[in-house]
Amino acid sequence: MAIINQATKELQVKIVYYGPALGGKTTNLVQVHEHVQTAEGHKGKLVSLATSSDRTLFFDFLPIEAMAIKGFKTKFQLYTVPGQVIYNTTRQLVLRGVDGIVFVADSQYEKMEENVKSFQNLEENLKTLDLDLSEIPFVLQYNKRDLPSAAPVEYMEFLLNNRDVQVPSFGATAHKCQGVFETLNMITRMLLHKFINESNRVKQLV
Amino acid sequence: MALPQLIAEDIREFDRVLGDLVSRSEASAALIIDKAGFLIAQTGDFSEFDSTTLAALAAGTYAATQGMASVISEPNFTCVYQQGENLSLLVRNVDLETLMVVVFKAHVSVGAVKYFSNTCVPQLALQFQAASQRNPNGKLDLAMMNMEDSSGFFRKVADES
Repeated sequence: MAIINQATKELQVKIVYYGPALGGKTTNLVQVHEHVQTAEGHKGKLVSLATSSDRTLFFDFLPIEAMAIKGFKTKFQLYTVPGQVIYNTTRQLVLRGVDGIVFVADSQYEKMEENVKSFQNLEENLKTLDLDLSEIPFVLQYNKRDLPSAAPVEYMEFLLNNRDVQVPSFGATAHKCQGVFETLNMITRMLLHKFINESNRVKQLV
Repeated sequence: MALPQLIAEDIREFDRVLGDLVSRSEASAALIIDKAGFLIAQTGDFSEFDSTTLAALAAGTYAATQGMASVISEPNFTCVYQQGENLSLLVRNVDLETLMVVVFKAHVSVGAVKYFSNTCVPQLALQFQAASQRNPNGKLDLAMMNMEDSSGFFRKVADES
């Protein structure tokens, strides 16, 4: 759950990039870190707790402050989870206190089963934290669109976005920074709208 | 199971308690963080390190130790201690949602830091409880927020977009 500090007019929000192994979650954060335009000192260091072969072991972490919001200092904490199946406990730990989720799917045909399993795993892990995906802002990113074996977007939509209320989805080629900022801006917008709606609801109750 | 809305009074009390701990125990710095990794309050010398990142990593470390406790059927590990060559670190549980992190010089006794933190942890927990009871339903107030351009919270640097 986000932290709102009325004393310092500060809002802190946690966004977790989730998805199958080698899908491009860390690449998203690397690209944001390399290319984001921020005021001086508003971009933190990208911390990667990774193995010697650059596979995420615990999480990647990037603190960053949004530019366009007046009145509140809005700090975003971007995390990734390790995608490999064996690290499920670690994924549960990283999901604690999550405010928004970006599910990074791998567009290659041969990865569809992994995408679906990872998505089911996300729903299960949220349940262990008493959270429900329908109540958390989330967006889908179909990464690796530049590969020849990429499945059509319609097929991925059918597999991963086939529910009563569809969520926004973006095609991406994360290593070229295509679709990365579009995804991040959309999850940010959804999160802030949710907070503002909750804030208004609370006011009406008081 | 969520952090209460904090007001200036809360932050002042956190600063007072942390300041007291730092001066009594001769620690270098102390932080209050949320178990999700957010930084809530900090006191001391942060010229040498980034407190936001430290908060995220300390929360992760503490969560991992809770996982280990569960594996060996230990109900709870309430603190994590790391001894270094120059600096050491103590992470202590405050309540269901929050932790306290103390950074201190390696020559400072961890026993002293633990001893002084024994009195300050309940004070912090009490302040969080007071904040929760102040307005249990009013966790959000974003009246000041003005999203002037919701299309560009984050932008690529100009020459690359």
